[in-house]
Amino acid sequence: MQIALLYGTETGNAEMLAEDIAAHLSDHAPGVTNLADFDPADFDASMLYVVVCSTYGDGDLPASAQPFAARMAASQPDLTGLRFAIFGMGDSAYPETFNHGSLKLEELLTGAGATRLGSRVTHDASGPDMAEDLAMPWIDDILAQAGA
Amino acid sequence: MSVRVAIVGAGPSGCFTAQALLKLRPDAAVTILDALPVPYGLVRYGVAPDHQGTKAVTRQFDRLFTRQGVTFAGNVTLGRDLTLAELQAGFDAVVLATGLHGDRKLDIPGADLPGVLGAGALTRGWNGWPDAPAPEIGARVAVLGNGNVALDIVRLLAKTEAELDGSDIAATPGAGVRDIQILGRGPAHLARFDPVGLRELGKLSDCAIRVIGGAGTGPVCEALAALDGHAPNGATKALTFRFDCPPRALQGAGRLERVVCDGLTLDCDTLITAIGFAGDQSPPAAADGLIAPGLYAVGWRKRGPRGTIPENRLDAQTVAARIAADLPAQATKPGLALPMATDFDGWLRIDAAETAAAAPGRIRRKITSLPALLAQARN
Repeated sequence: MQIALLYGTETGNAEMLAEDIAAHLSDHAPGVTNLADFDPADFDASMLYVVVCSTYGDGDLPASAQPFAARMAASQPDLTGLRFAIFGMGDSAYPETFNHGSLKLEELLTGAGATRLGSRVTHDASGPDMAEDLAMPWIDDILAQAGA
Repeated sequence: MSVRVAIVGAGPSGCFTAQALLKLRPDAAVTILDALPVPYGLVRYGVAPDHQGTKAVTRQFDRLFTRQGVTFAGNVTLGRDLTLAELQAGFDAVVLATGLHGDRKLDIPGADLPGVLGAGALTRGWNGWPDAPAPEIGARVAVLGNGNVALDIVRLLAKTEAELDGSDIAATPGAGVRDIQILGRGPAHLARFDPVGLRELGKLSDCAIRVIGGAGTGPVCEALAALDGHAPNGATKALTFRFDCPPRALQGAGRLERVVCDGLTLDCDTLITAIGFAGDQSPPAAADGLIAPGLYAVGWRKRGPRGTIPENRLDAQTVAARIAADLPAQATKPGLALPMATDFDGWLRIDAAETAAAAPGRIRRKITSLPALLAQARN
C-alpha cells in the first residue's frame, strides 16, 4: 500500500513526528508533506494518508493546517473512499481544548466522506509519554489491520 | 571542506535557524555558541516553569546535536572570549541569535526604589539563571503590563506549592503574597493577554479574582468577564485586574510603599514591570536577516522583542533561506578553536544531574551557579 504523511504544525513538533513515522515506514517510502503545501484535489483514494496534527491557540488548527482547511472549504471535495489515520498532539495544560486541532482536522476529512482507520491518538506534551512511543505501535497496528 | 556556519545563541531562534539551514544545506558544518554551558535560552529561562508542554520543543533541538552533527559550544561569550571579527574570520557565515535580555524601564518618579523589579530579571531568577537569584517579593504586589509575561507572573504568584506540581521551579514564588494588582495602562479591549492564558487563571485554587473596568467586546474582555468573581473556598490571595490605570509615581521611604495612579493610590511593597524587553539591536539587519556579507541576525535580535516561538521559527526559516542562498559551495574559512567551550555531552550531564536532584512534585532542580554548571559539564 502506498502511504503519504501529512502534517499540520505550529512549532515543528508535529513535523518531526511525521518525519519519524515516515522513517519507521521506510519500506513504503512515504512522502512527507506540510498541509500548507497540500491541495485537497491531489488526494488519491488508492493511498493511505497518515496525518499528524497539533493544536494551537484556543483549540485551533495549527498555522500550517489553516490554508488546507481554507482550500477544503473552498473546493468541497468528495473524499468518499479515502482512508486516513490521524495522530493528534496537544497539551493537557489546556484541558478545555486538548487536541482540538486534530479533532477539527479529522472532522474536515470525515465530513468530506473520508474514513478514519484506527483511533485518533491524542498525545499530551505535558504527559510522560514520548509521541513516537505512542505513534509507532499505533501505525503498525493500523497497517496490520489494513493488510499492508 | 563543508561550509562553516556559527550561530551565536542557542535559544529557539538560533536552534530553529540551524534546523532550517540544515534542510537547505545538509552539508553545512554548524556550530551553535552560547554564553552558558546549557542550551535553549528562552525555552529554559523564559518560558514559564509550569508550562512544560511548551518546552517540549527542545526535543527537536536535541536532535540537532545528537543526530544532525551540530556542535554545541557552551560557555563562550561573544565580546569577552572572542570578537565578532575573529568569529567571522573562522566561519563562512555568522548568525547573531542573541535575543534581547533587558527589561524596558518604567520612566516615572520613584522607578528606582527598591521593590521595583523587572519581569525579565525576576523570571530569570525564578527559572534558575546562574548566579542571579530572584529578588524578594513582598505581600502586596502590583504587576504592570497587559501581555502574556504579566500573566505568567501573576499566575506563578497566585499558585500554591501543590499547583506547581510537575514544574521545574525551585521555590513557591508567591508563598508570602496576599494581594496582587495587575495594572494595564490602556483599556481592556486593547490588552495583549492571550485569552487562553486568562482562562488558565480561572483554575486557581487559592486566589479570588476581581476585574475592574474590564467591560468591552472581544475575546479578551469575554475571558475577563468569565474570571470576574472567581472565588475559591477559603482563598488566601486576591487578584484584581485594573485597566486605564497608568502609574504616575512610585513612593516610599527607602523602598516602595505606594503606586500612585490617576485618582487611585495602591499600597504595594513590590511592583513588577512587565512592559516589554529591550537590548542592543545594532547593527540592524534587513528583513531577510542580512547585516553585512556573511553576517546575519535572527529572532528577537533582528525583529525586536515581539512574537511567540512559532513566529520566530518562521523568521528563522526566512533567514536560513537567505544564508543558504549566500553560502559558498565549499568552506572559505578555516574554522576556529574554542578551547573554553563546553560541549553537548556536558549539557547532558547537567541535565541528568538536575533531573536526578528533583524535589518531590518537581521534574528537575536547576543548578544555579556557573561554577557548578561548569563542573558538571566538565565532569
